[in-house]
Amino acid sequence: MSSYDIYLVGVGGQGVLTIGEVITAAAFQGGRPVNFFPTKGMAQRGGFVKAQLRIGRESMGPSIPEAGADLVISTEVSETLKAIRFIKPGGEVVLFAYVWKPAAVMVGKAPYPALDAVAEQVEKAQASLTVIVPETLPSFEGVPVPDNIYTLGVAVANTRLGEILDVANVEAFVRTRWKKGVERNLVALNAGLGR
Amino acid sequence: MTTKLMAGSEALAYGALQAGVKVVTGYPGTPSTGALTRLLQMNPPGVYVEWSVNEKVAFEVASGAALAGQRALCTMKMSGLNVCYDSLISIAYSGVVGGLVIYVADDPGVSAGMAEQDSRGFAIMADLPMLEPTSADEIYRMTQKAFDLSEKVGSPVFIRLVTANSESFSVVHLSDDPPSCPEREPVLIRDINKFTKAGAAICKAQHRDLIARLESAGQWMVEAGLNPLTLGEKGGLGVVAGGITGAYLAEGFEIAARYGFKAEAASVLLINGVHPFPTAQAQALLRHCGTILVLEELEPYLETGFWVQAQRLGLSPKIVGKLDGPFERIGDYGVRHVVQGLGAALDLPLPPDLLLGQTDAETLAAARPITVCAGCPHRGTFMAINTAIRKAGFAKDDVMVTGDIGCTILGMNPPFNTLWTEVSMGASVGIAAGYVHAGVKTPVIATIGDSTFYHAGIAGLINAVQHQVSLTLIIMDNGWTSMTGMQVNPGSREDCQQRGDYRLDIAKIVPALGVEQFWVVDPFQVDDMAHTLEAALSLPGVKVLLARQECVMPAMRRGDRAGQVTVVDENCNLCKLCLTVTGCQAITLGDEAIEIDSDLCYGCGVCAAACKRKAILVDAAEVIAK
Repeated sequence: MSSYDIYLVGVGGQGVLTIGEVITAAAFQGGRPVNFFPTKGMAQRGGFVKAQLRIGRESMGPSIPEAGADLVISTEVSETLKAIRFIKPGGEVVLFAYVWKPAAVMVGKAPYPALDAVAEQVEKAQASLTVIVPETLPSFEGVPVPDNIYTLGVAVANTRLGEILDVANVEAFVRTRWKKGVERNLVALNAGLGR
Repeated sequence: MTTKLMAGSEALAYGALQAGVKVVTGYPGTPSTGALTRLLQMNPPGVYVEWSVNEKVAFEVASGAALAGQRALCTMKMSGLNVCYDSLISIAYSGVVGGLVIYVADDPGVSAGMAEQDSRGFAIMADLPMLEPTSADEIYRMTQKAFDLSEKVGSPVFIRLVTANSESFSVVHLSDDPPSCPEREPVLIRDINKFTKAGAAICKAQHRDLIARLESAGQWMVEAGLNPLTLGEKGGLGVVAGGITGAYLAEGFEIAARYGFKAEAASVLLINGVHPFPTAQAQALLRHCGTILVLEELEPYLETGFWVQAQRLGLSPKIVGKLDGPFERIGDYGVRHVVQGLGAALDLPLPPDLLLGQTDAETLAAARPITVCAGCPHRGTFMAINTAIRKAGFAKDDVMVTGDIGCTILGMNPPFNTLWTEVSMGASVGIAAGYVHAGVKTPVIATIGDSTFYHAGIAGLINAVQHQVSLTLIIMDNGWTSMTGMQVNPGSREDCQQRGDYRLDIAKIVPALGVEQFWVVDPFQVDDMAHTLEAALSLPGVKVLLARQECVMPAMRRGDRAGQVTVVDENCNLCKLCLTVTGCQAITLGDEAIEIDSDLCYGCGVCAAACKRKAILVDAAEVIAK
């Protein structure tokens, strides 16, 4: 059974840890050994959030070695850069290209990297990049669907994560994860999967 | 048997329940918080669970229960262990009747802040047994064993986790059996030789008993197979893995095998019973191997133990670790340390960039300093402090503002840059008093949160009042222990107190401590608060401002809003002053005017106080100071 490591990054409040939670649950349902190590850091919104998800090893430590992740899922353009160190050459990056500018950037006191610059760094790390443009997020009942679950769907459909997870297990967990809003999350997942 | 995904901290909680724990206490602290949080959610019948006012009290409550013969668990982060050590040493000398387990979570790599201390040193100082399980499943099982060990030898027992396993989720095999320890009646044992400390004879006898208990704990660990030793080739390499580092061995061996490492030739000692030092296994390994690689995070405690045992045996092995390199005493360990250690021990031809990724990319990332949430009442307090200092005629660099632990410390960061120091729970008041006694002529301000005030700040204030120190204390009372995820504290709303607990009111406590200059202020009314503070700064003696508004997180979760903020587009010239002053996440720049994110905005209105063009209106009708 091959091992598969996923490094997740984003900003607090974006639901990036929820992506990790769904993958973890689906892997567990699929009978695969899994370790999910979220780092919430501080509880505040708007801070850097990361998580390390390891699937398939019988004996594993929680941290992914540098240059060791098969997949990076990022939900914020600039934060992607903090995951480059961990992507394996030949690995895959899925980026929901949302831009969450810190206040210092908005007032012009600090720089913010362009998407092209991020893409260049991904290329330098010899990884492939799938970019999701936030404006293309489909709507459900007039409201954009949850971007985190959509991003997960895209990752399952377009990367080797699709070979690791059984989509039925992902869907089954999404059905039980939310008391309200199951429908919109399922729409998000299926749209991301392209079905 | 039920299998369940859970975090290490939760697994510890389940393990304690399975062991029949009766009393659980703790104080929140990342990464330890999850255990007690889970137990409060579960609300198991017959088990008493509380967030205590601080770790010392938490430990004392748990100890009392254990002295009365019940099983008790006390949880805290490493900083909390420092707080409770006075009582802990004393109980270590006395011993316990029922099982007492102390769960401490260290943070190698510092993902939650505070000193990167290694709590194993405390186990050595107190002569207490310490266990270090790795995976969540092992944590679940070893927690149960820890209670057995505690009762078997009559000593408190530590379980030490680190961030990587306390916060990691993995599969746990839960037992379906009833708890291993049946319901017990409490016992009252009068034994002053054991439970008091008055007299040299008593204390020396207790010291002797303490050492004997630790020795039997060591024997128990051998019998329980806590430190498994696998011998490989005679004269070859011995790998020692302490706690979490053992989880990385298999992967590291696999990678090193590509460079000539032969795993089957190596001897391996996994150390889960970290104190007392596993002398017998260490000596067996030293007799068998010529080279020893020691993998342990932070301080070289195990490594030092190996040097000592080698000396006792008259051996001179090569020991690879921290003392002679290649490892540092800083940060957490991972696969790379295993591979690098094997490389150093066996002179493997490792490529220099093995398991090192590209780090240039990170330097291009936008700086994202942690700050307070949109709608956080502390934002108004930091703005008011900055304004008051300016209006009182001082430059920012002339006025010392001490900070304290918790969300209130976020005023150290931009855009506020208000706070200068962060020491330990409650230290802001004492540190401020020291600055005054040092002869600082400008006003000295101390800031502290409500939970931190109850925890240890109250003693600092009593001291300042008794000695009539001229300082101004701002208590930022948001009603919750927020930074660790909104735990209830003595001042939290009545309807959120557990089991009908009593709510204390800081507004009644402060005057009762003899503070005569006391104001209750609303941090959302920035100008008013700044005005009050400015006046306070000019007065002698102890002044206290109680800045009150509830933490925005629980308030928003209930659907509450403090008010309604709207932008008058034609008055906004996009000068960005509101953003520069508040740094609020709910404000973004539109084409013609700023925009407010209505999902994020709590309606606190402090942005309106920053605006000089009347471009932000706040409907304060809903703003109610508690």
